[in-house]
Amino acid sequence: MTHQKLLLFVSMLLCCSIAFSQERTITGKVTDEANKGPIEGATVRVKGRNTSVATNTQGLFSIKAPAGNVTLVISFVGYGTKEVSAGASTEELSISLGTDTKQLGEVVVTALGIQRQEKTLVYATQTVKPAELTGVRDPNNVLNSLQGKVANAVITQGSGGPGSGARIVLRGNRSIQQSNNALIVVDGVPINNSTYSMSGNDFGSVQGSDGASSINPDDIESVTVLRGASAAALYGSQAGNGVIVITTKKGTKDKVSVNVNSGAVMENAFALPKFQNSYGQGANGVLDVTKGGSWGAKMTGQSYTNYLGKQASYSAQPNNVKDLFRTGTSLNNSISVSGGSEKATTYVSYTNNYVQGIIPKNDMMRHTVTLRQTNQVGKRFSTDAKITYLVEDIKNRPRTGEENAPVSDIYQIGRNIPTSDAKQYQVFNSFNVAGAAPWPSTNGGIYQNPYWMLYNTSQNQNRNRVIGFVSAKFQITDWLSVTGRANLDRTFDQINTQYQQGTLLWAPNAGGYYKEDRIVTTQKWYDVIFSGTNKISENLKVNYHVGAIYQDNQWSRNENTADGLNVTNKFSLNLATTPAFNSTGNEIQTQAVFGQANIGYKDALFLDASLRNDWDSRLPSPYSYKYYSVGASAVLSDLFVLPSAISFLKLSASYAEVGNGGQFGLLYPTYSYGQGAGNGFLFRDVVLPFPNVKPEIVRNLEIGAEARFMNDRLGFTLTYYKSNSINQLLSLDLPVGTGYASQYINAGNIRNQGVELVLNATPVKGRDVQWDIALNLALNRNKILKLSDLVKTAFLTGDGKPGYLRSIRPIAIEGGSYGDLQSNYWMKDDKGNYLLNDDGTPLTTYQTSGLPKVIGNFNPKETIGLTNSVRYKRFNARVLIDGRIGGTLVSGTEMNLAFSGVTEATSKYREGGWTLSGVNTSGAPVSKAIDAQAFWTKASGQRYGNAEFFAYNATSFRVREVSIGYDLPLHVNFIRTARLSAVARNLFWLYRGKSILDIPGLGKRTMWMDPDMSLGNGNYQGTEYFALPSTRSYGLNLQLTF
Amino acid sequence: MKMINKIFDRRVAGLLLFSLVLLSSCTKHYKDINTDKNKISTIGPAELAFLFSKAQSVATINQGNYQVAQNLFADQYAQYFACVATYFGSDRLNIVQGWVSAAFNPVYTDVVPQLKTLFSNYEPTTAEYAIAQIVWVLAFHKVTDYWGPIPYFKAGLPAPSVPYDPQDKIYDDFFKKLDSAITTLKGMAPGSTAYGSYDLIYGGKVDNWIKFAATLRLRLAMRISKVDPARAKTEGEAAVAAGVMTASPADDALIKRSTAGGDGNGLSIMSDWNEFRMSASMASVLNGYQDPRLPIYFLPTYEGGTDYKGLRNGLTVAQLGDPKNSAAMNSHVGSRWASANVVAKNGTILGVPTSLSTPQNVMCTAEAYFLRAEGALLGWNMGGTAKDMYNAGITNSLAQWGITDATTVNNYINSTNTPVPPGDFLNSPAMTNIPVVFGATPAIQLEQIATQKWLALFPDGEEAWADYRRSHVLKLYPVVKSDNPDLPDPNTQWIRRINFLTTEIQNNGDEVTKATQLLGGPDKITTPLWWDKN
Repeated sequence: MTHQKLLLFVSMLLCCSIAFSQERTITGKVTDEANKGPIEGATVRVKGRNTSVATNTQGLFSIKAPAGNVTLVISFVGYGTKEVSAGASTEELSISLGTDTKQLGEVVVTALGIQRQEKTLVYATQTVKPAELTGVRDPNNVLNSLQGKVANAVITQGSGGPGSGARIVLRGNRSIQQSNNALIVVDGVPINNSTYSMSGNDFGSVQGSDGASSINPDDIESVTVLRGASAAALYGSQAGNGVIVITTKKGTKDKVSVNVNSGAVMENAFALPKFQNSYGQGANGVLDVTKGGSWGAKMTGQSYTNYLGKQASYSAQPNNVKDLFRTGTSLNNSISVSGGSEKATTYVSYTNNYVQGIIPKNDMMRHTVTLRQTNQVGKRFSTDAKITYLVEDIKNRPRTGEENAPVSDIYQIGRNIPTSDAKQYQVFNSFNVAGAAPWPSTNGGIYQNPYWMLYNTSQNQNRNRVIGFVSAKFQITDWLSVTGRANLDRTFDQINTQYQQGTLLWAPNAGGYYKEDRIVTTQKWYDVIFSGTNKISENLKVNYHVGAIYQDNQWSRNENTADGLNVTNKFSLNLATTPAFNSTGNEIQTQAVFGQANIGYKDALFLDASLRNDWDSRLPSPYSYKYYSVGASAVLSDLFVLPSAISFLKLSASYAEVGNGGQFGLLYPTYSYGQGAGNGFLFRDVVLPFPNVKPEIVRNLEIGAEARFMNDRLGFTLTYYKSNSINQLLSLDLPVGTGYASQYINAGNIRNQGVELVLNATPVKGRDVQWDIALNLALNRNKILKLSDLVKTAFLTGDGKPGYLRSIRPIAIEGGSYGDLQSNYWMKDDKGNYLLNDDGTPLTTYQTSGLPKVIGNFNPKETIGLTNSVRYKRFNARVLIDGRIGGTLVSGTEMNLAFSGVTEATSKYREGGWTLSGVNTSGAPVSKAIDAQAFWTKASGQRYGNAEFFAYNATSFRVREVSIGYDLPLHVNFIRTARLSAVARNLFWLYRGKSILDIPGLGKRTMWMDPDMSLGNGNYQGTEYFALPSTRSYGLNLQLTF
Repeated sequence: MKMINKIFDRRVAGLLLFSLVLLSSCTKHYKDINTDKNKISTIGPAELAFLFSKAQSVATINQGNYQVAQNLFADQYAQYFACVATYFGSDRLNIVQGWVSAAFNPVYTDVVPQLKTLFSNYEPTTAEYAIAQIVWVLAFHKVTDYWGPIPYFKAGLPAPSVPYDPQDKIYDDFFKKLDSAITTLKGMAPGSTAYGSYDLIYGGKVDNWIKFAATLRLRLAMRISKVDPARAKTEGEAAVAAGVMTASPADDALIKRSTAGGDGNGLSIMSDWNEFRMSASMASVLNGYQDPRLPIYFLPTYEGGTDYKGLRNGLTVAQLGDPKNSAAMNSHVGSRWASANVVAKNGTILGVPTSLSTPQNVMCTAEAYFLRAEGALLGWNMGGTAKDMYNAGITNSLAQWGITDATTVNNYINSTNTPVPPGDFLNSPAMTNIPVVFGATPAIQLEQIATQKWLALFPDGEEAWADYRRSHVLKLYPVVKSDNPDLPDPNTQWIRRINFLTTEIQNNGDEVTKATQLLGGPDKITTPLWWDKN
């Protein structure tokens, strides 16, 4: 080295160090173009450099950049990618991102957490912004907050109060016996979303929590909905119903920021039954205080001796039902601290949810702690680890359904009984043991004073859940990386149930009833994925993933019961007169290898394919099956010169298959043990073993178009899809004469097809004012093309059995649609005349034990959601209107209450004079006048039978969510942003459907109940039978960033 | 190509191969993983006796099925109880299919599989095999006597459909099975046992099972006495010759029940629900006879005192609305069955805390005597006269319930008391006019035998209803109102069977169509069964 060269080298070093020292920091703020709110977690990168930072909760970032003019690339899931040039000045940048930003580089999180450019996808996805989930919260379950926001999602709320499971079905029901719920994926791995107690009939149950109910909305960074199977092929068996991909927050490479969110929401019972307030306790129009039903005399304030033996005024008590419910208050407080450097980021959050249900004493307290740490170890190796721990306590979860549950009991209250009398629900004996006070029940056998149920029974659930993962990524070459991940999701539920002695139905033995129920669910997931991207030529790029997954799910339940206690109402297993225990459990293991590749030509034509092979423990040896997907997309606006009004146009088509392994323990015969007299019993299980079970397959075809116009002021995606579920694992009733109640077969072909439209528009756009419209519209048509040669009807009950048919029986019948509702009905003759008994009452199939008929289907034909967002200076407002068109819902509640004479409709024709025009079975006209009691007694099938009279067209529209926010002008330094919002949910109905029968002399009645509510999140849908009423909520939310 | 080589360089290929090997070697535990650890997958000698217990428990109508299989139907049609709940229609002959299926399905799914496993594991020459045969007949005669033709010979064989068999062929098989079982058991050494403590009725005593089988055979013989008198006589005489039950309570068949596992006495679990009360028929006869069994069978009304009241069967919903027809104003089932929650108005606890474990009546010695009394009237060789058998029937029935005082028994047997008007809501007349003391004419004697047998069979409504339909000399009140359009006039018509299950029509429809042919009439509740010649 010559001297000169050395000098040059040294000066170069100096230059470098000067250049290094001249490295500057650019700061800025990224906001949502639509609502001006900060965008948290957006990626900011200096073009030409590899390092990037993320914005913090206030949308703020700071990034090191070389001096001079540089270009920053800002991108965020769900928004566009924007390039912004930063001049030499150090002025803070203000960058707004919007969905109307040219979306060429938009990134979505797809299967297994793989991030992909939106335009390379060959199927439709939809992204929900976290603000839409945390803005107007549903206190019970985060999934309920997706209502109206996702095209073709039918969300049914569980009715067990806070923490109860929700049913979310994307693109129609596909599976008869298995779950139709969408798969919930958090950070790339499916979570355990099982529900331990699903109602399979209208007797009712205490509804359990699902896995999704314990997701903390404040930790969510993005939600992507993959509706079709194409998107889901990589998840294998569980993804046939579509996937909801949730990505949670991680730390930002920024100075430490603190985000605080506080919200308070009040809830009230919404959509209670309509009661009559004219007639009180009694029968046949005569006042009788021993009667539970309200078929008595007209209430005119006459003096009488009430059922407690006191003188009282016989007058209407219009609020005696409402009084039982309280105003629920939910408080939500979360704090998160986020920060880090290029080497490591940390995100810590703590959230506290306190939800008071509308049923007294039903409270939920949940603590969620999350810690996430990412590390960059050297240039090629990085790690990401997260642990979430939550403790959830649900107190006094109410029973729902008919049998001695607070809601069914209070609805039955005599119309003349004041709340103060009803609250006298117990009397104490000389040992200070409570006994039931007199209570005129409409069903002395199984309905009790509701206040007894509230205060002398309880079911408490304690949940401990830990979800965590550790992942490591190694960049093998600049085009190939390998990621390994280990994920654990373990939930411990402990449910303790107490029924005091004297509780009808639930405490049959002396002393009372106590049960401890422990459920442990464990999911272990390990995967290794090689990801690569190569440029084959200038115009040809390939992007691929190859990997293997090992998944093991275990579930175990131990029920310890003391049915009868040696010391009355002392609830411990030690005091059991007859201890009983029951253990159940299962384990399912799947292992899979998969490959997926996407080839892009000119960054405008894409070909996509995947192949997966599963080994599933539920199948017979060799346990193996495979399935695949193929698809293509073309960004026409990049390939051709289109009219300038069209800013983006893409067409795509895909075909995919998804397999599903089957059911645990179906291959071999089993015998169960049951306690009982003598030494107890052994008995063969009633399901015929199925040694040749095959995997279920869902075949999915999807064709889509996406277009944006006028500088992206208007855009839509239009998707047509068709899915066929074949080789369905069906539980079919066997004739019991075979000695088996049911058998499983692989058969069937269920077709769902439909169209989805998602439309976005910005009619007004200015510096101070902007108006955005988001509309989603979907229709789904389902047809059971084939079941099996043997049996043409499958039952959608929990056990695949027909059940008692008290209200309706949801079925899948060949040639019909999934969710057809069978019911007893008012018979007609060939000419269409109603058949009447000679006493003038309706002649029904309940009475003749005739075969029930299909009176409707529980699925909506179309669903629609419309969000309008308006921003004016510091104000912003959002209104969501959603609705469902079509479908039938039966009110088992009304059927039951009509028999007791408490519903509004029963107040007409109390004095008689009601002539139904109809004929008797010999065709002769019957003109005998009847009274309301005679009619409703028959119509209700004595409360056990004719759902047709209580079936409604479930079409309804409502104002689902309203939020009005204001960004507070701040004059303090340490608070960076502050937003105060007023929010409301389930504000009012715009339209509700009518009853399907036009009863002569009465006409059609308007649906009173909320079709969102159900008895549970299983496939047993279509009847609302003493579900908890849904709620209207309103509250305030304050968001602060420090 | 270069690129592909690059991708599958040795490092990558090695890792992939490693993962694949790891995967394929892991599936060898799959069979274990897919096996339910909380269940039993193989049945060996140690397990068989448990299956027998299960078959016995269900064949005699266990707790889970009792209300919907028996109480809402046969118990009301035999008019032991009347329904006070307005929401049940079965008392007005409304057949709710979802409920009555509990008298059908459990026999096929819970009795047949266990018994068939026993048949294939025990030699036909063993006592275990023979006793299983007896339980088979016990279970199936209840089913066929509800419906008529039922799946029988092909029961328990997996197939898409199961044919129904005609009732005469089924009865023929009953007799063969009982004959074979008795022969086998008689070949055992005296004092032999089978199933031991797993036999919930007799603790495994073979001698008792011989008497049980013979009595069941006599019951079935009498059932066919009108349709096939010759066969009835043969079977009846063979049964008596084999040795029917003779001494109550030693010979009586009662099955153990337990507070554990939902295996309680079915009548007891219902007592808390207050949905049924004493029928007007029972009130008329028991009150009129001043029957010593009255305070055992029923409780005084809640008003206190010693007033026993009943209500008519088949009252309309409006009529049930009258206070006189309420649960409080009518007699509840006796303290043997009533739980401790049953409390009189004055606070006296009327029931017992252990009611759920009250043994359940299956068959009684008294029945054997009344069958022999009727057989004697028919000219069968029953080993005694009709009158002796009748009086022995009463004596044994009273003994069964602990009434052994000779004066009480004699006074009752010789009583000229007759049934009285029950003093019910409808001011009904006395149910009939016959006294207890054995009458002079065969017509009166037949009615007395039927009436005393009806009283003795309590609370086994299934047998009482079958016997009522068969003889039709018991003068039960007509049902007040029929809601069933197939039976418009309850004054001239009565319910003779249950119509075929809608689930069977849906799952086994072609066979049900054929079964209607076998029934010999429309699938209605008014169509008589094969043995019903009234």
